[in-house]
Amino acid sequence: MEIIEKIKTNKSTDNHTEIQKICLHKLQSSPLPNPKSELWRLSNKSKLSNFLDYPVNEKDSKFDIPYPKNSQNTIRLIIGANCQIKLTEKNYSILQLGENELQKYIKEQISFFNQNENWSDLLNLSLSCKNNILGLKINGSKIPPIEIFSHASSNSLNAKTLVIFLEKNCDIELLQVNLGKENSSLSQSTFFCLKENSSVKHGVVSYGENKSNLLNSLNVIQQKNSTYNLGSLHFKFNYARFEISIKQTAGNAKTNIKGMQITKKDEQISTYTKIEFNGPNGFLDQINKSLADDKSHAIFEGSIIVPKIAQKTDASQLSRNLLLSNLAQIDTKPQLEIIADDVKCKHGATISQLNEEELFYMRTRGITLTEASKLQLSSYFKEIISFIPVSKDRWDLLDKLLNEN
Amino acid sequence: MVNENLVKDVVKEPYKYGFVTDIETEKIEKGLNEDIIKLISQKKEEPKFLLDFRLKAFKKWQKMKEPDWAALGYKKIDYQDIIYYSAPKQKEKISSLDEVDPKLLETFDKLGIPLTEQKKLTNVAVDAVFDSVSIATTFREELAEHGVIFCSISEAVKNHADLIEKYLGTVVPASDNYFAALNSAVFSDGSFVYIPKGVTCPMDLSSYFRINSGDSGQFERTLIIAEESSSVSYLEGCTAPMFDTNTLHAAVVELITLDDASIKYSTVQNWYAGDEKGVGGIFNFVTKRGKCLGKRSKISWSQVETGSAITWKYPSCLLLGEESVGEFYSVALTNNLQQADTGTKMIHIGPKTKSTIVSKGISAGNSKNSYRGLVKMGTKAKGSRNYSQCDSMLIGDKASANTFPYIKSQQPNSEIEHEASTCRISEDQLFYLQSRGIEFEEAVSMMVSGFCKDVFNQLPMEFAAEADKLLALKLEGSVG
Repeated sequence: MEIIEKIKTNKSTDNHTEIQKICLHKLQSSPLPNPKSELWRLSNKSKLSNFLDYPVNEKDSKFDIPYPKNSQNTIRLIIGANCQIKLTEKNYSILQLGENELQKYIKEQISFFNQNENWSDLLNLSLSCKNNILGLKINGSKIPPIEIFSHASSNSLNAKTLVIFLEKNCDIELLQVNLGKENSSLSQSTFFCLKENSSVKHGVVSYGENKSNLLNSLNVIQQKNSTYNLGSLHFKFNYARFEISIKQTAGNAKTNIKGMQITKKDEQISTYTKIEFNGPNGFLDQINKSLADDKSHAIFEGSIIVPKIAQKTDASQLSRNLLLSNLAQIDTKPQLEIIADDVKCKHGATISQLNEEELFYMRTRGITLTEASKLQLSSYFKEIISFIPVSKDRWDLLDKLLNEN
Repeated sequence: MVNENLVKDVVKEPYKYGFVTDIETEKIEKGLNEDIIKLISQKKEEPKFLLDFRLKAFKKWQKMKEPDWAALGYKKIDYQDIIYYSAPKQKEKISSLDEVDPKLLETFDKLGIPLTEQKKLTNVAVDAVFDSVSIATTFREELAEHGVIFCSISEAVKNHADLIEKYLGTVVPASDNYFAALNSAVFSDGSFVYIPKGVTCPMDLSSYFRINSGDSGQFERTLIIAEESSSVSYLEGCTAPMFDTNTLHAAVVELITLDDASIKYSTVQNWYAGDEKGVGGIFNFVTKRGKCLGKRSKISWSQVETGSAITWKYPSCLLLGEESVGEFYSVALTNNLQQADTGTKMIHIGPKTKSTIVSKGISAGNSKNSYRGLVKMGTKAKGSRNYSQCDSMLIGDKASANTFPYIKSQQPNSEIEHEASTCRISEDQLFYLQSRGIEFEEAVSMMVSGFCKDVFNQLPMEFAAEADKLLALKLEGSVG
């Protein structure tokens, strides 16, 4: 693990930005996450070290946006494409964040970071060079859907960072696509700041190829009366971790999350979510689905934190899991930590396989077992996929999930 | 709007078991080392295998670290500042209850546990444990007629060494965890129950644990074996006097059921919880585990936890036998600065095994009440099912309620369902009850009782009444 060696020796050069230096320094004392901590206990160690085995690639190889080739009325951005973004239309503006503003915001975030809990972010920020950080400030109304791409090229580790400020009263649809090539590692960190009365429909679709790895971290700060909707889908990664941290800074905000991870072969995909309510009248509705087949391992850990100040919080969390093979395994751990007394919080979890009675019913109607299973799966997938915004139809996600492999 | 202070008053309750019995006791010096363990073993005239078991456990304990994952905030325990053996002084071995020190009998009478013949009316056999040793076991002869062995574990070591050697440490190995290792090294007494093949125990068995000394720890060990097609219901109660210091209680309970056997184990735990400022109270670190070895066997845990400054307790079931059943019903009430971290582990190993978990937590004052549980479906647990439900009720805005359920499945042909909710006392319901002329405190008490009904229904008659009374007392207290 060349990267870890580098961190240990802390050979920061002049090329390193100040943020890189701070993160390197933070990681220096313990460059790897503590495998005994709850957040990393189930993580496959050899897969994580495989993630770190590739050399860091700072220069971007040519990247063709895959299918769908063309899409009208969509703003498409590629992180690391090294171009200046300045879109000022009649109703809206999308501008690149100024260097100082960006640095200040990231530094402020880092100050709250904890080596174990935010290891993925610290690693990302210590590796991601200036070119691979995209900062945007979005303002206005009637903004067309936005698609942002991150990708890793073969035999290398790529670190990409995205920072988005959504100004007051703004409403956007944003699809983030993370693509992993064969034998590659992608470290993606996203920082989202939702100002008052803003609203986002955020989609995160990550899919890899053979032996691709992903560390995807999402940090969202929600100010008053903001609405954050997240639909996410992770599949086809040898190793993937999706870490979500959402803070409702002053309460009175709404969060809806619908996420799904699908594991096959010997893959391991995990989702960790932490939702903190730092004010009253917060709302959360979360559902996470997993499907594990072959020898794979799917993990979900979700924590909801309701301190004393967060009275009248209404939070619910559901983890639904399908285990389709004798050799696959699923771990799930929804948790509630509550101090406020006037709250409604609940969580639920189920693990089962496809419903046999339904399968039997369909077969008596002449549908083959394979078709019947696909029908059941498609209804299981649809609830999540329909929540992913923008060009989900053009991406044929359902088709990809049901027919590939 | 509910008057917060009124609710707070309602949950206050003076601890009525806080007296100390002035009785001459035999104690050994403080501290823990191999010599102390040898001394305990020698005092109890134990066979060599048991001394070896203790020494092995002690060696393992020395290498272990005190667990901190439960994030319970308590001051560090000095294990060298504890007396590991304390017993009421008795000149000769007693053969009947008449020879027991009347002061001791009085103590148990005060606690509502008459060891004398009156108890016949309730048809419960009692084993009373005072500090480190068992002082009396009632109804022995009658039980012996059915072949049931019910005695203190020290007696069992002497009279049924073969059974002890065969089963001790098979469910909770000495190296299982820090507190189990400590208990294995220094356990002083406890109860032993053996139900022979085909016998349904004619009466409920009960043990009553009483800590009397302030500086001695209590380390009891209970072992219950239910042979094929037998069944037993076992009740356990605990109290302690009020001291400013914290007393350590680290018990181990092992249950074993063979084919078609069933054990129902009920606990009402009311150790001293410390005062309002959190001074004193019992540190309750208990390892309880049952092994359903046989086919169609069943182990059911039910508990009402109201006492202790710290409770760290996870009664668990290892479901090995085909179609075996595990159950866990729990009510945990915390007030003031109490901390309870309790839950269960249901490990499904055999096929078609079933488990049910119902946990109700009530937190008031500045207390912290957590449910922590594990449900695991092993690769061979085909056709297994689990259902878990954890509900928390918060009284006041300083109490905290946490739920940490771990769910792990490696068997696609199994089903796991888990649900949890958190709520407060509903104002609408309170208003409704009050508008019907029911006093505020009675209404709160009724609602809490209703909240816990699922669990109380599972307790044996004798205990259900005690538990309901206990909870009502905690709730009514100074007001009622």
